[in-house]
Amino acid sequence: MALVELRGVSKSFSKGEETITPLDNISMDIEEGEFISLMGPSGTGKSTLLNLVSGIDRPDAGTITVDGTDVTKLSRTQLADWRAANLGYIFQTHNLIPVLTAYENVELPTLLLKLSSAQRRQRVELALEAVGLSDRANHYPRQLSGGQEQRVGIARAIVAHPKVVVADEPTGSLDAETSDQVQILLQRLNRELNITMLMVTHDSNVAAIATKQLILDRGKFLARAEGAAR
Amino acid sequence: MIGYVLKTLWRHRTRTLLTVSGAAVAMFVFCFVGSVQEGLHRLTTGSDADRSLIVFQENRFCPTTSRLPEDYATKIREINGVRDVMPIQVWTNNCRASLDIVVFNGADPIQIQKSRPLTLVSGSWQQFQSQRDAAIVGRNVANRRGLKVGDQFSIGDISVRIAGLFSSTVPSEENLIYTSLAFLQYARGLNAAGLVTQHEVQLTDDADPDRVASEIDSKLRAGAVATKTRRKGAFQASTLSDLVDLIGFAHWLGYACVGLVLSLVATTTVMSVQDRIKEYAVLQTIGVRPLTTMRLVLTESTLLCLVGGVTGTLLAMLALSLGGFAIGAEGATIAFRPSVAQAFSGSAISLCVGVISGLPPAIQASTISIVHALRQS
Repeated sequence: MALVELRGVSKSFSKGEETITPLDNISMDIEEGEFISLMGPSGTGKSTLLNLVSGIDRPDAGTITVDGTDVTKLSRTQLADWRAANLGYIFQTHNLIPVLTAYENVELPTLLLKLSSAQRRQRVELALEAVGLSDRANHYPRQLSGGQEQRVGIARAIVAHPKVVVADEPTGSLDAETSDQVQILLQRLNRELNITMLMVTHDSNVAAIATKQLILDRGKFLARAEGAAR
Repeated sequence: MIGYVLKTLWRHRTRTLLTVSGAAVAMFVFCFVGSVQEGLHRLTTGSDADRSLIVFQENRFCPTTSRLPEDYATKIREINGVRDVMPIQVWTNNCRASLDIVVFNGADPIQIQKSRPLTLVSGSWQQFQSQRDAAIVGRNVANRRGLKVGDQFSIGDISVRIAGLFSSTVPSEENLIYTSLAFLQYARGLNAAGLVTQHEVQLTDDADPDRVASEIDSKLRAGAVATKTRRKGAFQASTLSDLVDLIGFAHWLGYACVGLVLSLVATTTVMSVQDRIKEYAVLQTIGVRPLTTMRLVLTESTLLCLVGGVTGTLLAMLALSLGGFAIGAEGATIAFRPSVAQAFSGSAISLCVGVISGLPPAIQASTISIVHALRQS
């Protein structure tokens, strides 16, 4: 049984009088430890698919099962608890909380879990070490570069030891050099920590770091390609 | 998560400071208005107001126009239910409403010491009883006028030497100056030998105040001057009737202050939530429950309101205890006093207003569509 299973998932939006269907009866599996990249033209439902898997949006039809839990059947509060324990989300624009330091931003998800303060501290320190920012722990987001902010965002996504990490254009707002560093980091986390990842990107070079690449167009998967490790 | 709320408030410190000071000013006014109402309530209710009567000249209002024979006291004492009668000569510097009214009550010093709830905080009763122009001064008047024992105090044609300062369990008493009856009767300009302004009647425990009042007026109807006798509370309410209307209106001002705090804190919290709607979406994406998000916003609004409200309340209590404020008219005064009840209600109202004003933005933050909020730039 796959870690993530999507079965017959559809999602439509109303835009004025027009109805847009970015996802139409989609089914897919993500195995544990897999790193999948999703590519495709704008408006084809990549981010919608990501939001459905992460439980911040609901499908019109179909089921999404993550590690045996059908997330489409959970209430808002249950979904929040489920996300706290099972999901890491890497945003395109980092979305760090500006009034909290890097350490406090990374610590946030652990506050939602039943952990002792020592366990929390250990996890935060390990996560910051994994992204190479132990020396920036007490810096506020405004004191960090874009690449450092994104690495804090990645540390925040992995600190709770989630079953799945989703990344929405994680390199979309970074320059080429910083983008390369983040790609290497994501690949390392997948390989060394066996973190299951689903990543949306426009950039085929970024998509290539994944173990499997999917292309989504007009609500359907067009092609699949096995990724080449760099 | 309280750290997150505190840091957020600190980050927007100008907005926080303005909101807190607005709430403080509004609650300061609210408590001040409340203390005036409490003062009026104290004056017109309670054992002193209900168990003693004031005999005044019929159809007269200002103390300067009521002139009753002093020997009416003997006739009043004969009525069943009367325990004691104290003839009082009243002199005031202003018959109209004033914030700095000075009221002299001239009466027998021994009766004053026996019947009035006064405690001398400095000076001596003996000097007050033995010296003709001696006066004991209420703490509030002394505060307002900067008076101390030994000072000579003159106002109009009256000049007294201060023999003592007193406090009282009846706050309005602290706005009075007591002299001997003879001194005030013979003061220049009063020409009141053998006359008094009013008689204060103490009742026995089982006496019906209304029956005794009616008997007094009937008995004195045949005398030189007709009288009107009322319970002390009713007399004071009637004397201050113009102010009572104003104070009645002022309680709307108190409600307006609460409304002001409500709208001020609600506006600040709504702005704060709208500015950070994406932040709340991020928190929920991480796994913060909608109810927790709601609590974060409510904590923010409640903190703003509580800090401002409690500060305003404490400042009002401080001003009321140090200022010795009073308003009076026609010889009766209302003392503004701080009270535990007022401090408690000010703080409780701040707490309630904080929660109520935070509810709409809290609901907004907790029910947002995460996906839509994350798309906001």
